[in-house]
Amino acid sequence: MTAPFAAGPYLPGPDALDGIDALVTDRYLDELLTAAERGAAATPADAALEGDLREATDVLRRSLVRVHPSFRFEERLAAQLADVAVTGAQGDGSMRSGNVIAFRPRTVDAAQADPLLSAILDGWLDPADTDAVARAEGVRSRTRPLIVGGALTSAAISLVGVAVVAWRASRADVRSVRLARERADGVLTATGVGGPA
Amino acid sequence: MARPVFGRSEHAPPVVVLDRDRRLVEAARRDPAQFDALYRKYLPQVYAFALYELADHHAAEDATERTFLRALAALPRFREQARPEDGPEASTFRVWLFRVARNVIANERRSQRRQPAASLDAALGAGLSIADATDVEGAAVLRDEAATALRAVRALPDDRRRAVLLRFVDEMSTAEIAGVLGKSEGAVRVLIHRALGSVARELGAGRRAGRS
Repeated sequence: MTAPFAAGPYLPGPDALDGIDALVTDRYLDELLTAAERGAAATPADAALEGDLREATDVLRRSLVRVHPSFRFEERLAAQLADVAVTGAQGDGSMRSGNVIAFRPRTVDAAQADPLLSAILDGWLDPADTDAVARAEGVRSRTRPLIVGGALTSAAISLVGVAVVAWRASRADVRSVRLARERADGVLTATGVGGPA
Repeated sequence: MARPVFGRSEHAPPVVVLDRDRRLVEAARRDPAQFDALYRKYLPQVYAFALYELADHHAAEDATERTFLRALAALPRFREQARPEDGPEASTFRVWLFRVARNVIANERRSQRRQPAASLDAALGAGLSIADATDVEGAAVLRDEAATALRAVRALPDDRRRAVLLRFVDEMSTAEIAGVLGKSEGAVRVLIHRALGSVARELGAGRRAGRS
């Protein structure tokens, strides 16, 4: 009778070996970055790490320097963010989902810089969700802008369109669609444009 | 027997600050104008990541602009999710911000594919002048090495390239990179290890070509 599992020496497979090498590399990188943080000139000597990998690490450490943007860009974006922050706070003290944001001229600039911004402000799109953002960007690239009475109007309307289409693409459950329709009907009634049929 | 001190026993677990940006994030939530502090803190990191990814100053500025606008717009819905094992240096706001940046940059790269590829060393320009000005020959060697390494990084598959940039340029821990890329820490270690192998091979090939 043979044993179901033959006893023998454990030999790690290629993936396990890769994992062990990767741990050694990771430890070396930790030491290298910690040394740089301390301002130490010498790189750590780790005999366990292969020479060519150590060299590649050192070259990347020297080459991948952090580059600062221009002062002009930094201040321009700071002003833009401050403007969006003020607009958000005008709703009811926070940029909570559901607020109706009145776009002021410079905030329209911000929204034009990023056509998905209104969907994010209203909580329909999570910018950290890779799949949802990719879907929304895909929908946006296929959406033809509406031209109704001037540049400002067309930008605002196409933004709403993009946001609604992106939201529908990412969350097509019936309840949300019904709520959105009720909300839209409410807005139309309030503005005297129309109401529920 | 241990007496409670201010209502807590001596055996109470130490308070772990999960997110080193918690104070700034809470301030920005109360008053969105306070987001400026987070913006100033992370602007160079986000911009550098975008520049290495896109190899174009203007595209990097656009991506940085969108990242911070989106982060500010979504800040009320940001949820801190750090774990004690992430350590006191973990910043989940930074991980979240870089997830936003990654999504913006990924879209920018998709549209870039329809245009001619830019050269990273040309975009960085002065960033490569890293050598001692008195050692002309040594400086040339270091510049060549840096250019080869940057080309090798640009040619890496997406996740390997992002992991290397976040590790070297933004000096993120493996745990933070795992959070940004949505992968396990082990997977991130392997990505970086394999990326370094590719860069090492390119550097070796460049050296051999230089000798022949």
